[in-house]
Amino acid sequence: MSGLSGRAAIAGIGATEFSKESGRSELRLSVEAIKAALTDCGLTPADVDGLVTFTMDTSSEIAVARELGIGELRFFSRINYGGGAACGTVQQAAMAVATGVADVVVVYRGFNERSGQRFGQTAVWASAQVNTNGLDNAWTYPHGLTTPAATVAMQARRYMHEYGATSEDFGRVAVADRRHAATNPAAFFHGKPITLEDHQASRMIADPLHLLDCCQESDGAVALVVTSAERARDLAQPPAYVVAAAQGCAPDQFVMTSYYRDDIGVPEMGVVGRELWRQSGLGPADVATAVLYDHFTPYVLMQLEELGFCGRGEGPGFVADGGIELGGHLPVNTHGGQLGEAYIHGMNGIAEAVRQVRGTSVNQVIGVDGAGGPSGTTNALVTAGTGVPTSGLILGRTPRAGG
Amino acid sequence: MSAATGGTAYDHAWVMAEAEKLTAAGATVPRRGRDPVNQPMINNWLEAMGNTNPRFTAGEAPPSMAQVWTMKGLNPPSELFDPLHAMMGKLTEAGFTGVLGTNCTQHYDRTLKVGEEVAVTTELESVVGPKATGVGEGYFVTSRNVWRVDGEQVATMTFRVLKFKPAPRKPVAEPAETPFVLHPIRDRDTEFFWDGTSVGELRIQTCESCGVLRHPPGPTCPSCLELARGYVVASGRGTVFSYVVHRHPPIPGHELPIVLALVDLEEGVRMVATVDGIAPERLEIGMPVEVGFRRIDDTLTLPVWRPVGGISVVEDAEPSVVEDAESSVVEEAEEPGHFETTPEPGQLLPIWGLHITPTLVVSTALATRDFQDVHHDAELARSYGSRDIFVNILTTNGLVERYVTDHLGHDVQVRSIAIRLGAPAYPGDELTFSGTVASVEGDTVVIDVVGTVSRDEEDGALSIASHVTGQVTIEIESGDPS
Repeated sequence: MSGLSGRAAIAGIGATEFSKESGRSELRLSVEAIKAALTDCGLTPADVDGLVTFTMDTSSEIAVARELGIGELRFFSRINYGGGAACGTVQQAAMAVATGVADVVVVYRGFNERSGQRFGQTAVWASAQVNTNGLDNAWTYPHGLTTPAATVAMQARRYMHEYGATSEDFGRVAVADRRHAATNPAAFFHGKPITLEDHQASRMIADPLHLLDCCQESDGAVALVVTSAERARDLAQPPAYVVAAAQGCAPDQFVMTSYYRDDIGVPEMGVVGRELWRQSGLGPADVATAVLYDHFTPYVLMQLEELGFCGRGEGPGFVADGGIELGGHLPVNTHGGQLGEAYIHGMNGIAEAVRQVRGTSVNQVIGVDGAGGPSGTTNALVTAGTGVPTSGLILGRTPRAGG
Repeated sequence: MSAATGGTAYDHAWVMAEAEKLTAAGATVPRRGRDPVNQPMINNWLEAMGNTNPRFTAGEAPPSMAQVWTMKGLNPPSELFDPLHAMMGKLTEAGFTGVLGTNCTQHYDRTLKVGEEVAVTTELESVVGPKATGVGEGYFVTSRNVWRVDGEQVATMTFRVLKFKPAPRKPVAEPAETPFVLHPIRDRDTEFFWDGTSVGELRIQTCESCGVLRHPPGPTCPSCLELARGYVVASGRGTVFSYVVHRHPPIPGHELPIVLALVDLEEGVRMVATVDGIAPERLEIGMPVEVGFRRIDDTLTLPVWRPVGGISVVEDAEPSVVEDAESSVVEEAEEPGHFETTPEPGQLLPIWGLHITPTLVVSTALATRDFQDVHHDAELARSYGSRDIFVNILTTNGLVERYVTDHLGHDVQVRSIAIRLGAPAYPGDELTFSGTVASVEGDTVVIDVVGTVSRDEEDGALSIASHVTGQVTIEIESGDPS
């Protein structure tokens, strides 16, 4: 177990509503989510001395601090690589509070990703940026390989070829997500489950990916309050301890286009997984529920494999027969995921893991009789963006392994 | 104030009543061609099409010339009744002024011989509409021709045109929405690659110290950390490692769907590019491909993948003349005239690229005895709203025949050509044919053929559109059973 495990906790969570058109500025969305997160745990902006967000976020730490009347900041940081940053922001905050660099760090992400700049479209700026990311994109963008869906489809096609996976296997992830979203009033697709037939009938976006393999585009914001384990115990909500927090990138890493490795896939998530198990002393059997980043369904199968929930190529078998639905061997994305609830760049998934640890999810797994796996574990695992340098967390009801 | 006029109401009922009359009239009386099947006209046609099949200088006529023999010529007698043209006239009266050929299916019962006298009958088969189409509301008018020699049927054609009310032009897109190919950021470390594509070389970075190849390139050799780099020119051959058919959303500078492949080059590096000249459903992992180059503008040439067997040429802004394009094809293509092996479903025909010149458009139009002004008078063609003169349908048929027989053998017997027409082919366009064996049953082989037109737009963008898609049915061991 590392020096980080159990030293920090997520004490508060907050979010705006999730919509297709918020009608508000991105800065305002983040401010609203942060206010809600502070209220959730009984703190005020005056308590906050650190802010962390994504490199991609359009609201700077100083702008947020001004809006919230936060006086002095002692710690501010940003994490790169799109949605891969999600759990990395919490790792930054946890390291800051564990080392005493800061006392209360708020991590936030807010955007009008549907009504403003849509990630599902070609990001012309991404190919025009004069830096190494722009140079990397030179090998795909001019050819018309620009959208996240198409870049993932290239990996998905190869995965199908190597392991005999089918579009239906991907579809089972979407069905699970939408089943969970159907009972979540905060989800955009609340009350709208889908069948595998719906998935198969949905139009082709980037063959082999159907529309229902792709996450939504959403407006909204999520914020999390991170503080030390000791302080968290005195606050309004039960702490969700940061049992492990890891980042990972793998050899020959690119952003969405790591196509030049012998064996393509998401080995960066393997790096994250090994570090999570190392820090926590836990293993896959100690996880009751997982929030696996699901911007596109094929990567959920590959993540299950990289994290060791099943062997290489066994993802399709793992998700069969409701394996990742409520009542299955590993319920995944109990809030509905980014396909069902909203696409807030993975941050809404961390909030769901906190709710699972607290026992307040609408689709509660941890602590429910007969649920939470055979070991009755109280840990939830969360991952961040896939296909990019990424990150992950294990959150637990108890600060140390074995909880 | 909308009082009904006392004149004819040119409504749907009127159109269908006229159609009924013309359909009920049945086939016209046989009309003889001006000349019997003759070698000089065949020679003109062969020359214009670039067809070198020796059978057609030894007494046989090319199958796709069937229609040529009975073309009405430059000054058709006005008393000639033709139900297709009559119906088109009625639709013009009713306000459906636009016309677009959409489908043409020809069957050839046998090859015509020099000296035979061919006569044609025409009947109106159907008028269907009104339908909402991309160009406006219109009626599909289908006619059927039968060609006979002394009463014996030798060929047939079903021909469909769309007569439409031209829809008002859509407002011109905002400049910001004008499609353009996203240009790559390049720097000192990657410039050599793009310099290479512009001269038709696919360059791979190599380490001057340890010799390891690397793509994408960078300033060091990750294997030995030396900074001295050079490059090798790839053979351009590789196999598909994975692929994507991108259907949504639209991407700047590309027409949907975009077929993209990640290719393992035989030198051992992997690279992304689009795949040209293949139907998406034919693409598969492991398929051999080779590189071609597509010039986008003065600063950018992109590599593209093509099914193996295609030609690898730089498509320059000032392309080489037709003869050059043809000679490169002849070199690349297997020797025509016989079949080495029995074709198998899925087998690919080599890509054939043809540069369209005004000379090609005009000479083929005249060799097919098609004197419509849009095929030879640029000023008039433009006055009708066309970009320029364009290739006529009889020529598209002839080129499809040539493509298939050049690659599958001059001794095969073409039994039918069924084509669906798309974007016009204008001078300056590159017309690129690709083909796939769709089915083989005994001696009968069906080949799917696709012809796309691509051109450099003035703003530097490359536009690509389908000119023709269709199926050619051939018999591989026939000769003529005469």
